[in-house]
Amino acid sequence: MSLSALELENVWVRAGSFVLRDVSLSLDKGQVLVILGPSGAGKSVLLETIAGFYWPDQGRIRVAGRDVTRATPEKRRVGFMFQDYALFPHLTVGGNINFGLKARKGSGQAGRAEMEDLLGRLDLKLLMERKPATLSGGEKQRVALARALVTAPDIFLFDEPLSALDTRAREDLCSELKAFLRESGIAAVYVTHNQGDALILADRVAVIRTGQIVQTGTAAGVFGAPADEFVARFVGVENILEGRVLSTAEGIVAVELSPGKGIEAIDRGSARSDTVLVCIRPEDVALGLTLPSGSSVRNHFPGRVKAAQTMGPLVKVTIECGFPLLAYVTRLSFLDLGLEPGREVVASVKATAVHLIGFRR
Amino acid sequence: MLVFVLLPLLRLYGSQSLTTLTRIAAVADVRAAIWLSLKAALLTSIISGVMGIPLAFLLSRLSFPGKAVVEAVVDLPLTIPHTVVGIALLFVFGRTGIIGAPVNTLTGLQFWGSLGGVVIAMLFVSAPYTVNAARVGFEAADVRLEKVARTLGAGPWAVFCRVTLPLAWRSILTGLMLTYARSVSEFGAVIVLSYYPMTAPVKIYDLFLQFGLGDSSAMAVLFLTVVLALFILLRYLAYGGATFRRSRP
Repeated sequence: MSLSALELENVWVRAGSFVLRDVSLSLDKGQVLVILGPSGAGKSVLLETIAGFYWPDQGRIRVAGRDVTRATPEKRRVGFMFQDYALFPHLTVGGNINFGLKARKGSGQAGRAEMEDLLGRLDLKLLMERKPATLSGGEKQRVALARALVTAPDIFLFDEPLSALDTRAREDLCSELKAFLRESGIAAVYVTHNQGDALILADRVAVIRTGQIVQTGTAAGVFGAPADEFVARFVGVENILEGRVLSTAEGIVAVELSPGKGIEAIDRGSARSDTVLVCIRPEDVALGLTLPSGSSVRNHFPGRVKAAQTMGPLVKVTIECGFPLLAYVTRLSFLDLGLEPGREVVASVKATAVHLIGFRR
Repeated sequence: MLVFVLLPLLRLYGSQSLTTLTRIAAVADVRAAIWLSLKAALLTSIISGVMGIPLAFLLSRLSFPGKAVVEAVVDLPLTIPHTVVGIALLFVFGRTGIIGAPVNTLTGLQFWGSLGGVVIAMLFVSAPYTVNAARVGFEAADVRLEKVARTLGAGPWAVFCRVTLPLAWRSILTGLMLTYARSVSEFGAVIVLSYYPMTAPVKIYDLFLQFGLGDSSAMAVLFLTVVLALFILLRYLAYGGATFRRSRP
C-alpha cells in the first residue's frame, strides 16, 4: 500500500519547441503541491503531462501507485480544473456533474446516496437546472469540483483556476478550495504564478523555471529560504542585496553590505562562499523613529524615507540607509510614524529574517 | 441594398397572372424538375456533411505542413466560373472521364444525364460552405472543454459526440443550409455536366429558350416560392424560432 498520490521520476517531455527537463516530484496522499513559476516556465505542460495529454520521452509517472506513463487521460483518474473551470456551456449544472458518470459507465462511480451527499456538501442542489453562464465564480468552482469528484479521482490538478479573478474573490475562493481539499483528503497539484495562492494552499511548493524544477520544499522552506535569486524574487523577496561574508561565529554570520554597513544573519549553512546575496522580505522590516532599546533584534539601520506607495492595506516604504531597503507597514503605522519622504527612521531586521544565498560572480 | 435585392424579386412576382402560374404548375416536367432540384440538393448536403465535417474538424485542430494549401483548395470552387467547373468535371466524371468511365464499366453507375451527375456538380460548388462554417464552429469550441471531458473518462470519440459536436452544431447547421441553398440555385456546372434530368434552374432556362419570358418567369416564381418556403421552415426548425432574436453566447 503506497502512501504516495503522485510520483514523477526523471520525466522529460518535448512539447513543440518546449522541453520539460528531468522533472522528479512526489506528493503524499492528502497533500497539496503548488507549482510556482512565471508564464512560459512549463507549468501547464507539466500538469498536462500528469493528466496524460503529453507522454514523456523518458521517465515514469505513477498516480496512487499505478504506473500511468503510457495511459490515456480517460484512464488516469485525475480531476482537471482549468482556468475559469471550463464547464460545458451547452449542459446544465446537472449535465456537467453527470458527464463523468455517463462516460465511465459504472466503473468507480459514486452511488446515489454518495451523489446526494456530495451535492449537499457543495451546496449545489438548487443549481442543478442552471446553465454555467449564469453562475458566480464560487458556484462554478463548486460545480467543477463536483463534476470531477463523481469520477472518484486519485488526484486533482489545478491549472491557474483563479487567475482571471480580482484579488478579493481570489482569496475567498482559494480559502474555500483549501477547506474542500482538507475535507476530501484528495491530493492536489496546483500550478500558479501567484504566491498568494501558494501561501494559502500549499503543503509543498515546487518552483519551476524554463522547464526545470529549481527548488522544492515546504511552503515555509521555499518562501523563507529560496535557493537562488530567481526563486527569491519569485516568492516575493524584494530586498536582495550583494554582500561579503566577514565572519561566521556562534551560529551568526556577519555580512558587509556596503563600507561600514553590516548585517547579521542566522547561520543556516546556506552561504559557504565569500560573496552572498542577502534576502530580506519587506514585511520583515520594522520601522521606528528611534533606535529601539532592550530588543533582541540585531540589525538596525538608521536612514531616511525616500518614497512611499500605498498598496491596498499596506504601504510600501523605500528607505535609504547606505543601501536601499523596502519595508511594508500598515496604513495605520504609516500615519502614526509620519513616514513622509525625508523623514529620518530606523529600520530593524531580525537575524532570523535574513536569508543568505551563496553566490559566485 | 435591401431594395436592390428585393425589387427584382417583387417585380417578378408582380408580373405573374394566376392562370399562367396554375397552367405551368400543372406541367409534369416542371414539377419533376423542382422536385429533382430539392432532392439533389438534399443528397448534396448529406454527402457534403459526411465528407466536409471531418475535414473541417481536422483543419480546426491540426497544424501540418501544407495546411494553407489545403485551405486554399477548399475555397477554390468559390472562385472558379461554374461553367468551367462543369467542363472540368466532364473530364473526370464524363463518359470518357478518368473516374466516370471506369466506374461506369465496373458498376453501371453513370454521372452524365443522371441524378449522380447533378449531385457531383452541386457538391463541387457548394461543399466549401459546409467545410468553412463547420470549421468556424469547431474552432470556437474550446479545446480545454475537450480536455476536461477526457479526464472525466470520455474517450476521443465520446468527447467529439458529447462536447465538440454539440458546441459546433449551430455553425455546422448553418453551413449545411448554405450548402443546400447554393446547390438548389446551381445552374452553370449542372447544365454542362448533366443537362438531363433537368433541375429547376435548367428547366427554367429551357422554357425561356423554347417559350420565352412568360412561361419561364412563371416557373421561376413557382420555384422561388417553394425554395423560400422551405428555407423559412428550415431556419425555424434549426434555430427554434429564434431567428430574429439575438442568441446568447
